[in-house]
Amino acid sequence: MTTENRNSNAALVIGAGIAGIKVALEIAESGARVYLCDRQPHIGGTLVQLDKWFPDNHCGLCKILPVFNRDRTGQYCLRRGLLHPNIELLLHHQVKKVEGKPGRFSVTLKPEYPRVNPELCTGCGICEAACPVTDDANFNQVPGGHRAIFLHHPLALPKTYSIDAERCTRCGACVDACPTRAISMSAPDEGLQLKVGAIILSTGFENFDATTATQYGYQRYPNVITGLELERRPGGSGPFPGVLYRPSDGAIPRSIAFLQCVGCRDRKRDYCSSACCMYAIKEATMIKEMYPDTDVNIFFMDLRAFGKGHHRYYDKARDELGVRFTRQRVPAVKQDFRTGDLLIMAFDQSGEVITSRFDMVVLATGQTPSREFEETCQILGIKTNKWGFAATGAFSAVDTTREGIFVCGTASTPQDIADTLVEATAAAGRAMGFLGSEKALPVTPPRPGEEEAGAAVILCNCYGQVGQTINLREIADFCHRAPGVAYVEEVVHLCHPETWREVKARLSESGVNKAVIAACSLLPPPGLYEDTCIELINIREQLAWVHRDDGLKATEKAGRLVNMALEKIHSQEYVPPPEGESVVPGALVIGGGLAGLSAARAIAERGFGVEVVEKSDALGGNAGHVFSLLGGENPREYLENLVDEVKNHPRIHLRLNTEVVGVTGHIGNFKCTLKDERSETADIEAGAIIVATGAGESRPSEYLYGRAGQVITQRELEAGLASGRIDAAALRSVAMVQCVGSRDKDRPYCSRVCCSQALKNALNLKLLNPETEITVFYRDIMSYGFREEYYTRAREAGVLFVRYEPEQKPQVSLEDDVLEIRATDPVTGNVVIIRPDRLVLSPAIVPPDDNTALSRVLGIGLTGDGFFREMEAKFLPVDSPRAGIFLCGLASRPQDIRETITQAGAAAQQAAALLSRSRLTGGKAVSLVNERRCSGCELCIAACPYEARVKNVEKGVARVIEALCQGCGACAAACPNGAASLRELKDQQLFRILDAAL
Amino acid sequence: MPTSVLIEVGEGNLREGVNSFLRSILEKKMLDALLVPLELPSGGMTAPALVSDPAMLGNANPLAPIMTVSTARLASSLTKVAASQRKVGVVLRPCELRALIELIKLKQASRENLVFIGVDCYGTCSVKDYNRLCQETPAPAEELLKRVKSGDESLLRDACRVCEYPAPINADIAIGLIGTDTGKGFLVRADSAEGESVLEGLGLKPGVAVPEKEREKAVAELAASRTKNKNELYSRFEVETTGVDNLLSVFSACVNCHNCRVACPLCYCRECFFDSATFDWEAEKYLGWAEKRGAVRLPADSLLFHLTRLNHMATSCVGCGLCQEACPNDVPVFPIFRKVGEELQKMFGYVPGRSLEDELPLSVFREEELGEVGES
Repeated sequence: MTTENRNSNAALVIGAGIAGIKVALEIAESGARVYLCDRQPHIGGTLVQLDKWFPDNHCGLCKILPVFNRDRTGQYCLRRGLLHPNIELLLHHQVKKVEGKPGRFSVTLKPEYPRVNPELCTGCGICEAACPVTDDANFNQVPGGHRAIFLHHPLALPKTYSIDAERCTRCGACVDACPTRAISMSAPDEGLQLKVGAIILSTGFENFDATTATQYGYQRYPNVITGLELERRPGGSGPFPGVLYRPSDGAIPRSIAFLQCVGCRDRKRDYCSSACCMYAIKEATMIKEMYPDTDVNIFFMDLRAFGKGHHRYYDKARDELGVRFTRQRVPAVKQDFRTGDLLIMAFDQSGEVITSRFDMVVLATGQTPSREFEETCQILGIKTNKWGFAATGAFSAVDTTREGIFVCGTASTPQDIADTLVEATAAAGRAMGFLGSEKALPVTPPRPGEEEAGAAVILCNCYGQVGQTINLREIADFCHRAPGVAYVEEVVHLCHPETWREVKARLSESGVNKAVIAACSLLPPPGLYEDTCIELINIREQLAWVHRDDGLKATEKAGRLVNMALEKIHSQEYVPPPEGESVVPGALVIGGGLAGLSAARAIAERGFGVEVVEKSDALGGNAGHVFSLLGGENPREYLENLVDEVKNHPRIHLRLNTEVVGVTGHIGNFKCTLKDERSETADIEAGAIIVATGAGESRPSEYLYGRAGQVITQRELEAGLASGRIDAAALRSVAMVQCVGSRDKDRPYCSRVCCSQALKNALNLKLLNPETEITVFYRDIMSYGFREEYYTRAREAGVLFVRYEPEQKPQVSLEDDVLEIRATDPVTGNVVIIRPDRLVLSPAIVPPDDNTALSRVLGIGLTGDGFFREMEAKFLPVDSPRAGIFLCGLASRPQDIRETITQAGAAAQQAAALLSRSRLTGGKAVSLVNERRCSGCELCIAACPYEARVKNVEKGVARVIEALCQGCGACAAACPNGAASLRELKDQQLFRILDAAL
Repeated sequence: MPTSVLIEVGEGNLREGVNSFLRSILEKKMLDALLVPLELPSGGMTAPALVSDPAMLGNANPLAPIMTVSTARLASSLTKVAASQRKVGVVLRPCELRALIELIKLKQASRENLVFIGVDCYGTCSVKDYNRLCQETPAPAEELLKRVKSGDESLLRDACRVCEYPAPINADIAIGLIGTDTGKGFLVRADSAEGESVLEGLGLKPGVAVPEKEREKAVAELAASRTKNKNELYSRFEVETTGVDNLLSVFSACVNCHNCRVACPLCYCRECFFDSATFDWEAEKYLGWAEKRGAVRLPADSLLFHLTRLNHMATSCVGCGLCQEACPNDVPVFPIFRKVGEELQKMFGYVPGRSLEDELPLSVFREEELGEVGES
């Protein structure tokens, strides 16, 4: 076969925000190549502007970095950059043409102009000083000082300036000023040609332009800001770290109002942005933590805290932190021009209009497609939906209308980070199916210290920033005198790619294979330098900057740091790379419902064996009870096809009436004991495990369910209508009650799917019999994303929505076989009385009781609500806390059919990426056991935070699971006699380094 | 209520009484063997032995006020490789029992099939003093008991004089002497189900009024007077051991023999870090140090050895003082280790040997701990 006929082993990811980064990392870690392009000159998208996230209010971006072969990738903050040997960044590029077919696309990209060449830019900032254009909006969302050429993020790597093409006047001042001729104004004609097997669109969203919502006075009233501005102002790297100043007068705000749904849930954009309720609550929480006495009031329509753990977070903000929640869409904001205070008109309980005064108003703006999105979709030949987002199918959230092209994140529907990451992982999994099997080349690890050619010392002056404080000449003299130093070199700016090339050339000419580089925190980690043992020290931020006022001492400290580094590389012994753990190339899927079957099929399609274990005697699970989707599609056919495929797949082995009763071992090498209905056990091995055990529907104990025949559940209504047992034509009046057993004290979570189910059934009823009166008693309608439109349609069709407070639930009584519901409208106080033919309840989705037993078998925990706990709610939503075990479907959280399929795809991708490795190693710096010295006291096992140390019972000594070891060294610190040590930092070496410091 | 029995003995027959109690355990096959000190044929000195023949127990002397090696260590070597299916009774002083509990937590011994027989301890003598006592009297145990009860603690080791745990904790069976008229009898108390079943099998039933209350009171009083002794000891050593210079001077007598480490029941490493090549340096290195500081004291690592050992075992130090006994040059290792251990244990709210359930302080992480360390 010629290369022409083979599928490309590379994928193109368009958009380098969190979704794009995740897709790229997933594909790269599965062994294929990735081109990650973005029209912006930097990566990170919207996310890098946010500092802290729900649920722990910390930053956690780095949690998505690879854990295996860490030395190959840049293990640092993704705000600074992304380094992976299989990922090529094409920043400031745009896709211009896509031709060809799936597996063999031919793509043309063009760099954006005016352009700063990242190869040449040194980040010196002379261009910024030369630029005559100033403007308001910038990374920090704070007015002032922002030129048309600017540094997007202070820590970005490479430190390349960007030009805002819209504001740039093409005056050329920067071009002339640039000392390295890195800036060009116009484009040469040629573009970049790429052959790729699949394309993933992850271009994200744009915030709704709040200036167009004129009623709120954004940019007219200084104290009205957007949620993003609120994130930036007090952010750690923001303009006013740790404090929130009111823009007009710099005072600490005593009262802040959040206005929800700005730019959404209206006629023009009849969808919900899904993430804003939670980000408003998070911001309110942060404000309350900074200023407990500040009054924070969130004005909302429906509080959509439907994700995993969201409802608890909302409860905490309201009940513990005292954030106020006012259910109202605010019509307009006015300003008191004397004080800059803002006035909000609202109705009180009695319907009176009252005016409230706030120091600041925050607009929780929604997500909209980016301006260029339509054009991008045309180039890619994919369709958009009516709101301008990428169109996807009823059963796939990641397939676009063109085969081989996928979408994820907010490019297809507004959503939060956790859902975005699930989609990104699933999209990567789908894309892998179109890529050629040729693996990208692994990078050879450096082999330090084999021959004694001496060491080089490279001192970076950072354009004089270091030299201002530290006497580099003195350091150089000291190095010349130190033993084993071949040469010393002082460079002006090591970041400059040209300088770096020269330095590397000199290193290889001189034959040295060790070097100390004294520079700054921006340099890549040593693992990325091939063939040379390199020790980095930071003499810029950690020395020149912090000791600015004492050059003498700073110089002395610099000398000692250099001395320590020299000692380290001189005493570095060559240690062969760890062998790593072998991987059993098969997966175990627990659960034969929609989630389990979808995951099993996806893993089998990637070429791995799958054992599917189902406790009951039938496949299909809960999905078998769904007769139609909100959009009218029929899931039964989809499910039947899936079941058929799984049954007939040569790589899938099904075991019905079987349970998992024991799991030992670790990632890549699980040993699982299965038990069938005859209590016979079987042992199987698996490299990865997927938990897809589903959940059930609670049996309501309220509203006369089970005592009056007229009271049924949504599922019973759906089945009744489908089978004809319930005749819609005969129904005069139907009532529905939402949140039956959800969002209360016992189950403080939203069951997520019931509002859509109620809307679907209400619309179906109205379709079958427009005369049927339908009343829905609800607390908040959770029609997030594009489900909102169906809420609107239901109201248009005459469905009546009556809200109730959890303290004042609708009262149901039965007299002479007549059902009566009484409820009090919380706004008007009017009593609503309905005597329906049917009362339809939306019961909670509840985790099965066996979860407790299974969680023990698997060694993974459950959440307080009884669902399986993930490693981290936001950034690792598919990983369980035990490496190698992944979660999907209702076992993980309540979600609908399409979401379940997506999460199953994500779990399958993570499992397949793991199974595709021949051996698992964390990194070079894993820990070692000296068995002769080990007394087996297990202190290291207790100290290891990654469960990477276990007892070798036979030998009575500790053992390291290299795949799990992160090289933190806690074991070496806990071990009293050095039986535990790190491969690359032996005790004596450490003492030598310490000695060099003294 | 635990079963407590007063076993009466005739005047001067305490040792024989305890021995016959132990003998009955083996005779009635309640246990398969006993680890207990036997008097050597030459008389006086004892050495621990694993005894399976009840007849051999005539030579037992669990009350002899001498402790050359910690039985905790022996129980560790007995069970570390693999515990036996047979039941072994281990006769232990309170400090030995506490050390053994620590070793079990450190996975250096197994609790399985061991029955702890703890003996009240008024204190022990140095080998020198004990030998002298043996020459003075045929019944050194009774003689010392008499002297200590009358307030003469001059023959006790420092460690024993300041010991606040004269009664065993965590024993299955406790042999009580404190608060009991040892001229007439001693107390046997079952503190666990295991202990209960042994006493039951021996047919021991509470008969005579058992002086439980008296014992408790006497133990508390003894502990209080020992605390006083301890504070006096600390103040005696405080000045000479404060600061690096003073420490260096105190440890200058150390010959790096590492005997303290060998004697310590809690130094369990298979090979001490300080016996490894980690601290072997090339001459150039020593010369470099000498050049930098003008002079370098040799051997270079003796203070580091003690500080490191302290760092490794201080949370579990039970204050048995065997380190002190082992030192050929009277370096005051005991007061230093005891004081540092006590301060450290206080910080973690940890008492070594108190319970098998208490987790070793350095193997658990609590977010809210050691606040006072950070502040100072």
